[in-house]
Amino acid sequence: MSTEPATTTQNLEGNEACALGAIAGGCRFYAGYPITPSSEIAERMASELPGVGGVFIQMEDEIASMAAILGASMGGLKVMTATSGPGFSLKQENLGLAVATEIPCVIIDVMRGGPSTGLPTRPAQGDYMQARWGTHGDHAIIVLTPASVAEIYAQTIRAFNLAEAFRTPVVILYEETIGHLRETVDLPAPETIEIIDRQWAAPDDRNFLPYRPGTDGIPAMPRPGDGHRTHMTGLTHGEDGFPTQKPEAIAAANRHLSHKLEPHLDRIEQFEIVAGEDAEVIVVACGLVARAAKRAVAKARAKGIRAGLFRPITLWPFPTLPLQALLQPAGAVIVAEMNAGQLIAEVERHAGDHCRVVGLNRIDGEAITPSQILQQIEELAND
Amino acid sequence: MTEAPAPEFVIREYLREHLMPHFLCPGCGHGIALRALLWAVHELGITKDRLAIVSGIGCSGRIGAYVDANTFHVTHGRPLAFATGLKLARPDLEVVVITGDGDCLAIGGNHLIHACRRNLNITCMMLNNEVYGMTGGQVSPTTSNSRYTTTTPLGNFEPTFDACALAEGAGAGFVGREITLQTPALKNLLREGLAYPGFAFIEVISDCTEIYGRKNDLGNSAEMVLSQKAAARPDVYTNSVDRPFRPNQLRTGVLARKDRPEYAAARQRHLQSLGNVE
Amino acid sequence: MSQTQIEIRLSGSGGQGILLAGQILGDALTLERKRIAQSQSYEPTSRGGLSRCDLVAGTKATDYPLASALDYLVILDRIALHASDDILKTNTLVVIDMSAAEGKDAENGKTRALPLLDTARACNDIRSANIVALGALVELSGVCRADTLVAAICAGAPAKLVKSMLKAVEAGQNLVRA
Repeated sequence: MSTEPATTTQNLEGNEACALGAIAGGCRFYAGYPITPSSEIAERMASELPGVGGVFIQMEDEIASMAAILGASMGGLKVMTATSGPGFSLKQENLGLAVATEIPCVIIDVMRGGPSTGLPTRPAQGDYMQARWGTHGDHAIIVLTPASVAEIYAQTIRAFNLAEAFRTPVVILYEETIGHLRETVDLPAPETIEIIDRQWAAPDDRNFLPYRPGTDGIPAMPRPGDGHRTHMTGLTHGEDGFPTQKPEAIAAANRHLSHKLEPHLDRIEQFEIVAGEDAEVIVVACGLVARAAKRAVAKARAKGIRAGLFRPITLWPFPTLPLQALLQPAGAVIVAEMNAGQLIAEVERHAGDHCRVVGLNRIDGEAITPSQILQQIEELAND
Repeated sequence: MTEAPAPEFVIREYLREHLMPHFLCPGCGHGIALRALLWAVHELGITKDRLAIVSGIGCSGRIGAYVDANTFHVTHGRPLAFATGLKLARPDLEVVVITGDGDCLAIGGNHLIHACRRNLNITCMMLNNEVYGMTGGQVSPTTSNSRYTTTTPLGNFEPTFDACALAEGAGAGFVGREITLQTPALKNLLREGLAYPGFAFIEVISDCTEIYGRKNDLGNSAEMVLSQKAAARPDVYTNSVDRPFRPNQLRTGVLARKDRPEYAAARQRHLQSLGNVE
Repeated sequence: MSQTQIEIRLSGSGGQGILLAGQILGDALTLERKRIAQSQSYEPTSRGGLSRCDLVAGTKATDYPLASALDYLVILDRIALHASDDILKTNTLVVIDMSAAEGKDAENGKTRALPLLDTARACNDIRSANIVALGALVELSGVCRADTLVAAICAGAPAKLVKSMLKAVEAGQNLVRA
C-alpha cells in the first residue's frame, strides 16, 4: 500500500508554476514591473501573496523592483522579482549590489528574443551570458534552467533554498515557450517540501562581524533590530562591513565573492544525462531545446546511433566535471542553443582536444526542433 | 506622574566613532544636517536598533555609515526604492533615506516621484549642495543659473529643479526645506518629518565649500551659509509676505503637510475590507 | 512520440476562443489521467489573425512539448487553412468549418467539413463555435469522453458561459451523428 504523501495534479502554465513555487519556497515579498513574457508571474504573485501575509508591490521601473527586493531581503523576507531581457539588463546594477553585499534573492528571467526590444513574444536563449556576467566585476552566481512546468515549480523552490543557504542571487532562466506552456504537474504536499532558511546572527553575539564567513564559508546575516547595527555597502568592504582600501582585504573580499560557491557544488550542481554511458555523440542543451534533444536522442538510438544528452539544470556554476566525464569517451558534442553561440564557448573550453564541438543555433525566433537535432546527430555519427 | 527629562543629546552616542575622522571636506554642510537628523532622532526617542538609514551614492550617500544604526549604502539613485522594500518588510523600523540632489533628482528622480505618490512612511532627507561633489564638481539638477562647474565651464544655463515643488506635486504628505545654519529649526523640521505618518521629504540646503564654492568664488563656508540665510524666506513669514517681491527667495520651513493615507496602512485597510488578510 | 501520445491543434482567427477551447480540452484529457502539454500562439495575432492552440497528450509526460505531427486538427477560419500543412500526417483527422473548407485538398479522405460556425449561430452564440468544434471532434475521434468534456467545462469555463457551452457541445456531437 502506498504511503506516499498526497500530491495535487493540475494543469499549470510555466509562469503560474513559478509563482506557486515561489510561495511554496517561502517567498513573502515580490516587487516587479510589467514585461512580456513574464507578467503572469507578477499577476499570480499579486493574488497569492496577501493570503500568506506577504507583500506584493508593482514598482515604478525594473531598477526599483530589484532595489526593493534587496531592501525587503535585508529586512528578513524571502524575495523575488521577475522580468525578461530588457528588464534583466536594467536589473544588473542592483544585481551586482546583491552579489557584493550577499543578499539572498531570486530573479526570474523569462527569455525572449534580443537584443533590445527584440522579440517580446518569442522564445530565445540569449541571456545565458548576461545571467553569468551581466553585472560588472568578478563574482559567482547561481543560474538555473528548468525545462518543464513541473521543473519550474521545483527549481523555483530550490532557488530560494540556494539563495538563503549561500547568500547569493539566484537567477532562473527559461524560454517564453516554457513560460506559457501549460502542462500537467503533480504538486507535492507542502509538508514534504524542504525549506532552507538563511542563517541569522545570534542577537547576543557582541563580536559579530557581518561579512566574516561562517564555518561553511557563508557569513550569517544581521537582522535589523537584533542589536548588531551593522553597515551594508556596495563598496568593497572588509569583514566588518565597512569600506576598505587595503589590498589584502580587497583581495580577500573579491576571492570570497568569486569562490564562495565552490565548496558547495555538490548541493548546487544539477544536471540530467540521457543515454550517456556509451554515447559517441553528446548533445548539450538547456530548457526547451533540451527537450527537443531528448526526443532526437531517442530517435537516434532507435536508429542505432549512440547519442546522448547532457542537460545542465544548474547552468552556472557550469557543471564542468560531470560534462568532462561524459565527454571522455565521446567523439563529438553538439551544443544546441537558441542564440548565436554562447554556451558553446563554455563547452569548448572543457571538451578537450579529442572531442569535436559543433554548434547548432537558431536565431529566428523559432524553437529548435527534434528533427534539426537528429539531423545534426546523424551527420556527426556518419563522419 | 512626571516623566523623566529626556537625556541630553550627545551626538557621539549616535556615531561610529571608530570611523572618525570623517571624510567630509572642511566647511561642508552635510555634517550639520546629520547632526540635526540625529538630534531629532534623539528627541523622538527612536532607538538606534530601530533606526535604519538607507543612502545612495555621492557625498550624501557616505554619511549614513557614520551612524551607529542599521545602515545601508546602496546604488546610485536607488535608496528610496531599497527603502520601500525595507519598510514594507519591516514596518517596525524607522526608515530614513539620506540622499543628494544628484542621487535623488537626477538618476533617482523616478523613485522620488513614486515614493511621494505612494506616501509610505519613510523620511527622506535630501542634501542639496547644487553639485556632484564626489565626482569632482559636475553640474546637477539644482545648480543655480550661471554657476560654473566642471561640466559647465561657460556657466550653467539650464533651469534648476525645485525639489520641494516636485515632491509636493507628486503627492508627498510632508514637504519641508531648511538651511544648515538654522540647525535647531532643521532639527525641528526633521523631527516633524520623522513623526509624520507618511512620506516626508525634507530638502536641506547644504553647501559645498571646497568644490562648488571655490569654483564660483562664493567665499568660505561661513559666507556661503550666511548668503543662504539671506536668501531664505521662512514659512513663518508667509502670511505677511504672500507674494515675495523677490520671487527667487528660498522658502523654508514646512512647505506642505497633508492628511493623506499612508501606503502600508491603506494597503492593510484595503485587504481587511476584502477579508483577505492575516 | 509514443503510440499512446496524441497531438491536437485547434486553429482559427483571434477572438474565436481557440485558447479557451484548448484549455478545456486539455483539462478534459487530464480528467482522464492524461498528461498534457499545451502551447499556443502568444503574440498580437491572438487579437485577430491566426490563432492556434496545440495539445500533446499521453499517459506519460511528453519529452518534447510542442506539436510536430498532428493527429487531429480543427480549423475554424480560412486564415488557418494552410497554417499547419508542415506538421500534417497522411492520416491527420481535420475537422474544418464549411466556410473555410473551400480550397482544402478534396482528396484528403480524413477531412470532415462541418457547419461549425452556422451551428453556433443557430445556437444564438457565434462565440461558441469553438465548443461546437470540440463536441464534433470528441464525437468523431474519441480523444476523450463527452462527459469528461462536460465536466471540464463545468469546472473550468467562466460561469456565465457554461450553459451555452454545454449546449454547443451537444450541437457539435449532433453534427457528427447526423
